[in-house]
Amino acid sequence: MAIVIQPYRQEHEPAVQEFNRRLQQSSGDPNLVFSQNAIPRWLPPASNNPVWNEFFVAVEGSSVRGAYALKQEQIFTRGKGLHRVACYHHPLSEGIVDRAYASVGALLARDALARQPFLYALGMGGADRPIAKMLKALGFSLTPIPFYFHVLHPAKFLLEMQALRQKRWRAILMNLAAATGTGWLAIKSAQAVARLRGRPGNFTAEEVSEFSDWTENLWNQVKDTVSLAAVRDANTLRLLYPPQAANIKRLRISRNGAALGWAIVGERRQDAKFGNMRVGSIVDCWASPENSAAVVRAAIQSLEKEGVDLIASNQSHQGWCGAFGSAGFLKGPSTFVFAASKRLTELLQPLDETRPSFHITRADGDGLPANF
Amino acid sequence: MASDLFGVPVDQISAASSAQTLDNWDSIQHLNLVLAVEEKFGLQLSPEEIEQMKTVGDTAKLVESKLQAAPR
Repeated sequence: MAIVIQPYRQEHEPAVQEFNRRLQQSSGDPNLVFSQNAIPRWLPPASNNPVWNEFFVAVEGSSVRGAYALKQEQIFTRGKGLHRVACYHHPLSEGIVDRAYASVGALLARDALARQPFLYALGMGGADRPIAKMLKALGFSLTPIPFYFHVLHPAKFLLEMQALRQKRWRAILMNLAAATGTGWLAIKSAQAVARLRGRPGNFTAEEVSEFSDWTENLWNQVKDTVSLAAVRDANTLRLLYPPQAANIKRLRISRNGAALGWAIVGERRQDAKFGNMRVGSIVDCWASPENSAAVVRAAIQSLEKEGVDLIASNQSHQGWCGAFGSAGFLKGPSTFVFAASKRLTELLQPLDETRPSFHITRADGDGLPANF
Repeated sequence: MASDLFGVPVDQISAASSAQTLDNWDSIQHLNLVLAVEEKFGLQLSPEEIEQMKTVGDTAKLVESKLQAAPR
């Protein structure tokens, strides 16, 4: 029976539940699950909204064999203005657990491209993971988005950072460094030396309950300093970070009363690779390059007050990368990749020139893990 | 083409070879097979046709029928 990809409707929900059950049972991976609700919980379609999610399912008879989501949104590209694009996210295929459905992955990706040729994907666990490889085969350009981390509690970092402790000899060295205090000294020294490179100037940071019209001015003042950014005007920010989102903090950073920038910070969910550490995240940020250092310092101070052990962030813009470096962040291996379709890549040409000023953060794409 | 894509000697590939019988025939290689067929024969495959490519034989038959139907 033919497989047909169509918008996910309420009548498909039982078949999606059954699809999820088959994937989880065969793979043992609890993350292989598509939304059980046909209407997206995060960014549902609504008239006049500038950003929304749509779900699609691959149906064979009465069974669902695959599914994916598109986040429809607008991007700004310097010199070329606003364009409507879509983020391809959460693709899932029965082919993961049953080779008879090996064709479904290709069908999903091609269907998404047919619906929106200006397509991108973000994250994907790295360029060597199946989705990134598939998109590369379809002609997508891949750009890794640098990962930065800042250690607040070195001893706990050395003892709990499971991602670095997988080799026995390294775990022993890290235990030794934590016990003797040499690890504390080395990490704090490296961060202190980095901080000497930049001074943020005076600033004031306050937590705000919502993003109001001042963010509109910032969007308009700053957007020409980036070659690519998902729109971050006041209307879009109110949808992405609504007042009821309790798991994040919205920071307004100002100098002499005038807004310089904003940041979104929050605490990440427990993740085995970070052990028992509390990990804070600078999820999103916006400011002109000369004010980015103040925004980064304000975000660190906010997360420090929360008592996190480690702060992580993904940043692509060279100005922000510099600000994170000069705030004492260290660069780590990134598994966060930006994949742009052929049409979107054409729009972003010449890539060698535009790439350094892409403004892409952890909040782009499918956004915060809590959203799904 | 199948031999190159799936990394299997030609004499181990038959018309019945499929994702169930070839270890390397996964979702990514299925997409690569589609792209390779389109490029080599100058064809554009529809979703229905992509799904029909269950075996090497199915794929060969599909290509033959598309080439015969193509205007000369």
